[in-house]
Amino acid sequence: MHITEAMRVLQFGDSMLPVGSFSFSNGLESAIQLGLVSDVKSLHEFVLTVTQQTAGVDGVALLEAHRAARADDMDRILRADACLLQRKLNEEMRLMTTRMGKKLAEMGIRILQSSLLTQWLAAINRGATPGAYPIGQGLLFADLGLAEEAAFAVHQYGVASMVLGAALRLMKVDHLETQSILFDVNTRAASDFERCSRARLEDMAAFAPELDILAAVHVKAHVRMFMN
Amino acid sequence: MMRIAWERAAELADYQDEPKQMASAVVGKNGYLRLGFERRGASTALIDLERRAPLFVHKAIYWDEAMPTLPCVFLITTTGGILQGDRFHTVVELAPETQAHLTTQSGTQIHSMDANYAAQSQEITLGDHAYLEYLPEPIFPHAHARFFTHTRVSIAPTATLLYAETLMPGRKYHKGGELFAYDLFSSTVQVARPDGQPLLTEKYVVEPEQQTLRQAGQMREFDVFGNVLLLTPKVHADAIFAQTPASYDRQAGVAAGASRLPNDAGLIYKVLGRESQPVVAKIREFWAIVRQTVVGAPIMPKFLWR
Repeated sequence: MHITEAMRVLQFGDSMLPVGSFSFSNGLESAIQLGLVSDVKSLHEFVLTVTQQTAGVDGVALLEAHRAARADDMDRILRADACLLQRKLNEEMRLMTTRMGKKLAEMGIRILQSSLLTQWLAAINRGATPGAYPIGQGLLFADLGLAEEAAFAVHQYGVASMVLGAALRLMKVDHLETQSILFDVNTRAASDFERCSRARLEDMAAFAPELDILAAVHVKAHVRMFMN
Repeated sequence: MMRIAWERAAELADYQDEPKQMASAVVGKNGYLRLGFERRGASTALIDLERRAPLFVHKAIYWDEAMPTLPCVFLITTTGGILQGDRFHTVVELAPETQAHLTTQSGTQIHSMDANYAAQSQEITLGDHAYLEYLPEPIFPHAHARFFTHTRVSIAPTATLLYAETLMPGRKYHKGGELFAYDLFSSTVQVARPDGQPLLTEKYVVEPEQQTLRQAGQMREFDVFGNVLLLTPKVHADAIFAQTPASYDRQAGVAAGASRLPNDAGLIYKVLGRESQPVVAKIREFWAIVRQTVVGAPIMPKFLWR
């Protein structure tokens, strides 16, 4: 990888990226309140489930958006965006992905004058497309000339680091422990990519009923630090 | 002509071999059912009925005392369950202003398989102000069962569909216990408006051998999964959502919660339980809220023998 490319991957995979991921816990807040995640082992399992499930839905949409962007096909991009949101069956999960998606588009336009992102943001602003975060990542990475593997990796990394960042604020776990979890979870991303890279939009699938119920519990919760 | 959803499904790629017994989709294994409900005076009647073995229904019965104009239909497979190589198509159409209730007489057994798979496709159409309760008994996928189900729903903005799927882990108390010994359970529901505008899609694929079902976030210590889709106008969805608590009770062995669907399509209600009884009870509670809110009628007490 060229050094500039590596720098781009680092920048857009950084948890400091101002897209607001720190406001979300991806269901972890409820899992901790209910005592379902209480130690390193249960946190590790939780992060694994979240990343595996995200790969099978968001990861597939991201790859489709990246391929559509390289083919300069805006209709195909918007179809991926709509299909992804139609599979987000919890309102706070939709809020997370659309809020982060829009922020990413605004930032991307500001720093690299991307015409695809400009078109996409215009469609978001006129209500023609939801603006899901993985779609924005696909467009941004295609525009930067970065491979779909890099886009996928950054997406999966972002999901894991979001949950682990929330864990540091919600439970008794230290930075060394979260880094060990992250290291292990990252090791598994290659097999998730293998599974997702052949999938079509209609193959997007997940099975995590407990996560779905935790998302529902969070919507009804009275005490909340995070937005999901 | 119905699109055959399973021909493109990647998860079935490993199960294309033909059974040594009757071939897949031949006469007797290619079931078809068409139920067309229409308004007759104050009642709904089952007017259009086409059936091909092994799918079967008797005539509609009006057994619901709180909704005496509601036709209730038992969906029956004459082979006593679902076998390898079975292909079922079911079409259900509710004309405007009609109501219907569909269920099964007992749990659906998906028998063990050593070749091929079983698949069903369902097409459900609801006209203006139609109301359908589709509440079958639980599904039991036996060891090495492979099942693919694909349901397409076309629903008018004023109509309501309550659609439940209760998935057992297998025959939990058969011999030493048959827990998650099946090969594949793939379920898709796709919902659109009559003009084709897509509202939502849910696809879940369970392959117990290849997944870590006991992992946090998936099934954990639970064995039974209830998945209930409620498509209804926003005013009803809001009222029902407000009356439906989200709960996670490890001691009682049951967790449940509702989420708002995209495009104001309604709600999805998910239930996990260690046993079927609390899951069925939660789904009944939800059903009671839905019927009271949408129709203004209570549900019948549970049959003693079911």
